[in-house]
Amino acid sequence: MLKVGIVGCGKIADAHAEQIRRIPRCELSGVCDRDPLMAEQLAERFPVKAWHTDLDQFLETVRPDVVHITTPPQSHLPLGLKCLAAGAHILVEKPFTIDAGEARALIDAADRAGRKVTVGHDGQFSPVARRMREMVRRGYIGTPPVHMESYWCYDLSDPTYARALLADKHHWARQLPGGLPHNIINHGVSKVAEFIESDDPDVVAYGFVSPFLRGLGSTDMVDELRVIIAEERGTTAYFTFSTQMRPSLHQFSIYGNRNGITIDEDRRTLIRLPGTGFKSYAEHFLRPLTIAGQYARNSARNVKLFLKNEFHMDDGKYRLFRAFYDSIEHGTPVPIPYREIVLTTHIMDRIFAQVSAAPGRAPAPSGATA
Amino acid sequence: MIAAGMQSQDGHMSEPLPAASPILVTGSKGFVGSVVVRELLQRGFTNIRCFARTPAGNDKLAELGRKFPAARLDVVHGNLLLPDDCRRAADGAVLVYHLAAGTGKSFPGCVLDSAVATRNLLDALAGSQTLKRFVNVGSFSVYSNATLRRGAVLDESCPVERAYTARFDAYAYGKTKQDDVVAEYGAKHGVPYTILRPGVVFGPGRGGSILGRCGIDTFGFFMHVTGRFPIPLTYVDNCAQAIVLAGLAEGIDREVFNIVDDDLPSSSRLLRLTKRNLGRFFSVRVPYPACLAFSCAWEKYAAWSGNQLPPLFNRRMCAAYHKGNRYSNEKLKRLLGWSPAVPMDEALRRYFEYRRTAAAS
Repeated sequence: MLKVGIVGCGKIADAHAEQIRRIPRCELSGVCDRDPLMAEQLAERFPVKAWHTDLDQFLETVRPDVVHITTPPQSHLPLGLKCLAAGAHILVEKPFTIDAGEARALIDAADRAGRKVTVGHDGQFSPVARRMREMVRRGYIGTPPVHMESYWCYDLSDPTYARALLADKHHWARQLPGGLPHNIINHGVSKVAEFIESDDPDVVAYGFVSPFLRGLGSTDMVDELRVIIAEERGTTAYFTFSTQMRPSLHQFSIYGNRNGITIDEDRRTLIRLPGTGFKSYAEHFLRPLTIAGQYARNSARNVKLFLKNEFHMDDGKYRLFRAFYDSIEHGTPVPIPYREIVLTTHIMDRIFAQVSAAPGRAPAPSGATA
Repeated sequence: MIAAGMQSQDGHMSEPLPAASPILVTGSKGFVGSVVVRELLQRGFTNIRCFARTPAGNDKLAELGRKFPAARLDVVHGNLLLPDDCRRAADGAVLVYHLAAGTGKSFPGCVLDSAVATRNLLDALAGSQTLKRFVNVGSFSVYSNATLRRGAVLDESCPVERAYTARFDAYAYGKTKQDDVVAEYGAKHGVPYTILRPGVVFGPGRGGSILGRCGIDTFGFFMHVTGRFPIPLTYVDNCAQAIVLAGLAEGIDREVFNIVDDDLPSSSRLLRLTKRNLGRFFSVRVPYPACLAFSCAWEKYAAWSGNQLPPLFNRRMCAAYHKGNRYSNEKLKRLLGWSPAVPMDEALRRYFEYRRTAAAS
């Protein structure tokens, strides 16, 4: 029985605790938060035997095999190092660390301690993401990817919430180098990073404050990002983060030299985009029907998964946690390669460096050419 | 100027609080908070510190400032999750009306914004030599009526819900924790407090529906459940009056008061009035036992499936909102000398007029 602990009992900790208790071979043995009320509320509701406000005491008393670190990202490195030193494997909520330097430091420390680490990029393990990965692996798109498009948006249309966030300059998300997007875009960037071969791709980023936030008086909180990522072998990607576009998409498309695939995380659909068409007018008449058929099959598949009780809201977390625990218990590879974790952080560093240097206008290309 | 004294429990007038006493109001720009500030000004208090998170709504307070030029209305922006901001807010306060609260849907979010924020504020006040009373504005939603029969009176003697996971009500959970924190600081640190639990507060300025206790509006049509039983409404002016009185009356430390108005409309009447005034919509009368059975089935499915569908509908929630009870404001009247200044019919008329005007504009 794996002993699992959670450090940081805020909103995302609930989602972790919920999925941990679905995995039979592990036990949520203790939780820790420096605020006693927060630690107590999580322990009380799930329920967990022990709650702590001191990390050292938590590690010493609970002796967890795995610690989920669900604190604000500024604390991920120091807390992660402590947990590793205490002999625990760590699952770190996104964003993994503040920058790629910290990411490498944490992974190196895990290697030295003989422990494993992963990041909460659960979007990589959603039902449609797993199906897409398998199709790419089998060569459906052709190899390598020619182009990708990743949309990872955030609905910031509620003025009450937006105003509260704008007024709270101390909010940890606003203290991140990339501000609000820093806490959100990881999922969308990691989807691109998975298929990028280079460790240092070109990144061109354009960021600006949306008219909506400007209307609320913000001049510095960039909430719109448009990014081009490219590598020498010819694979390119567009990444979009927007708080204003509707629908607020969470989509990823990948195109090879044969076919393409589009997945939609909100509707949980996967659509095959065949590279060859029907002849002449048949392409106009039949293709929409075949795509409609694909949507119908997606609906049926979703219903079927729901009836089989495999359609939980946070199914990606469940799969990620299970795969991570498998890698600890059975020595299988970690669910997210360390290279992908570092590359995701590295691309984000590049984006934020450019946007903070020149918010509101397109900067010169950087990355390999910088 | 000297503020009016209040009639206390034993019938004597309490010693009036000097008009210039520093009074802190948190959530001061909210729907109820802004009316509490107005009520204090109308009672002659001249030194009010309005604590709020954002500059939005400053115009409301500025307007009050113009109406009461002799009063000092300090707007302090800050975050109750930050101890320094709490100290700034609490400094020298004689009376605190604490109306700021979390309204989110997540349990940790509600605990953070309700209980942790309140604890931080109380930390700043603990040991204060000036504080006369901490008026904590909680919520009616904290009660459990699981052991009450339909139609029984729900009053301050009823138990608070402690089956948190079964009830699955983040807001109620946060408010319960908030009340617990206040009681703890009263016991351990001698903070003098009073807890108020308003029912459904309505009036001009309130957006959204006030039919939450009448039925369920989740599935594209309105399922009317509560039927002939009354809805615990309180008009915002009446509610604010009760809150203000709870800070001024003597002999009520550690007391809990529910706030509901007189002449409460039945659920059926409130639904009828809403349709008549705000436009018709499709509703179906669902008997309470049927709603309870539906909630029970949902709850059991949630448990079986490991929350593939979270237990948003459950028996305790169904009972708390739709079982149908009667409500008492007898304690409020007896100990605070409160009575609703705006009668229910007039209150509803003003509310619907506001909603019609807002919709037209």
